[in-house]
Amino acid sequence: MSQLIQSEKMAALGLLVAGVAHEINTPMGAIHSNNDIMTRAVAKIRKLLGPAPDKEISRLLDILGEVCRNNEIATDRIMKTVRSLKNFARLDEAERKTVNIHEGIESTLTLLQHQLRNRIRIVKQFGDIPEIECLPNQLNQVFMNVLVNAAQAIQDRGEIRVKTWTAGDAVKISISDTGIGIPTEHLSKIFDPGFTTKGVGLGTGLGLSLCYKIVQDHHGTIEVESSNQGTTFTITLPLEA
Amino acid sequence: MTENSNPTILLVDDEEMVLNSMKSFFAIENNYNLMTYTSPLKALEDLNRNHAHVDLVISDYLMPEMDGITFLAKVKEKLPMVPRILLTGYADKENAIKAINNVGLYQYIEKPWDNEDLKLVIRNGLEKTTLLHQLEEKVREVERAQRELSEVQKDILRVFA
Repeated sequence: MSQLIQSEKMAALGLLVAGVAHEINTPMGAIHSNNDIMTRAVAKIRKLLGPAPDKEISRLLDILGEVCRNNEIATDRIMKTVRSLKNFARLDEAERKTVNIHEGIESTLTLLQHQLRNRIRIVKQFGDIPEIECLPNQLNQVFMNVLVNAAQAIQDRGEIRVKTWTAGDAVKISISDTGIGIPTEHLSKIFDPGFTTKGVGLGTGLGLSLCYKIVQDHHGTIEVESSNQGTTFTITLPLEA
Repeated sequence: MTENSNPTILLVDDEEMVLNSMKSFFAIENNYNLMTYTSPLKALEDLNRNHAHVDLVISDYLMPEMDGITFLAKVKEKLPMVPRILLTGYADKENAIKAINNVGLYQYIEKPWDNEDLKLVIRNGLEKTTLLHQLEEKVREVERAQRELSEVQKDILRVFA
């Protein structure tokens, strides 16, 4: 029952996310274009001024050019985030699709950037894996849940290693953190619905149980290994479900 | 399109900020005459009334009054030779591709758009219009020559009849 509510919540969230992404897109397009126009105008003014322009005008044009470059970096970042949001929600793909799961992992990492930045180093060891038939938006939720847990397990600085490889008729994804680890007595319960150590208001205790359910729906497995050096989740997904 | 006048582009988007940005872009880069509309219905009304000369039409996809594909299909009835370009957010990419195949659009541009791409697509579209006009002109010349020939033929037949 709780899993059902959780997946309904995620579907509603997906709709919201897609709507917001679409809504941001139009003004973003205008700003992106306007900034390009300013860059072009600055170049044209420079050309009109000739080889020996007034020092102060030249200084102001330098500042304008710098501001435009800075704006470009900023708008590119926003557009990348919006693309990732769209990709993460993948509302257009409610049915099974054959996709490369690296795309989903990349989008999820982009969305998590603010939680990771300056604190956690991400090491990607992506293998040469074939595309798999799956529900991409659901698998993205699995990556999101496991990655958020990994980031929360790291108390100060650390590393999250995301590895993918092929093993026989399956694709494997492992997500390892250098966090505090999960106590042995909790290991058998972490996939149980409602089990949480995060405290009231922080965790619902549904994240990993949902991951378990999604992976099971894909006829795959999710396994965990943990010590006080860190935790590794390994997801195994058959090439054809 | 006459030799010396600047091409005219009709642009429809319900968002004023998109129209303004494109207006500024073309003001700085090309000397196109722009006709801009936030309402596709108003744009159609003006097209019907004025027989305005238009060389290329660009329309947004998602608009409250009428979607861009319907609008461009109506433009096609009026101006079959004019290239039509659809602007889309990436949510409606599939629709755009469908439209290109069904309604025979010239191109589609994704939002957020890249000005350099926009410039190229428009330039190529206008070139297509120019070539079509030249072809039309050639066809008319051939028809005229044929008519003259058949007149001459009639004259000859009359003389010998």
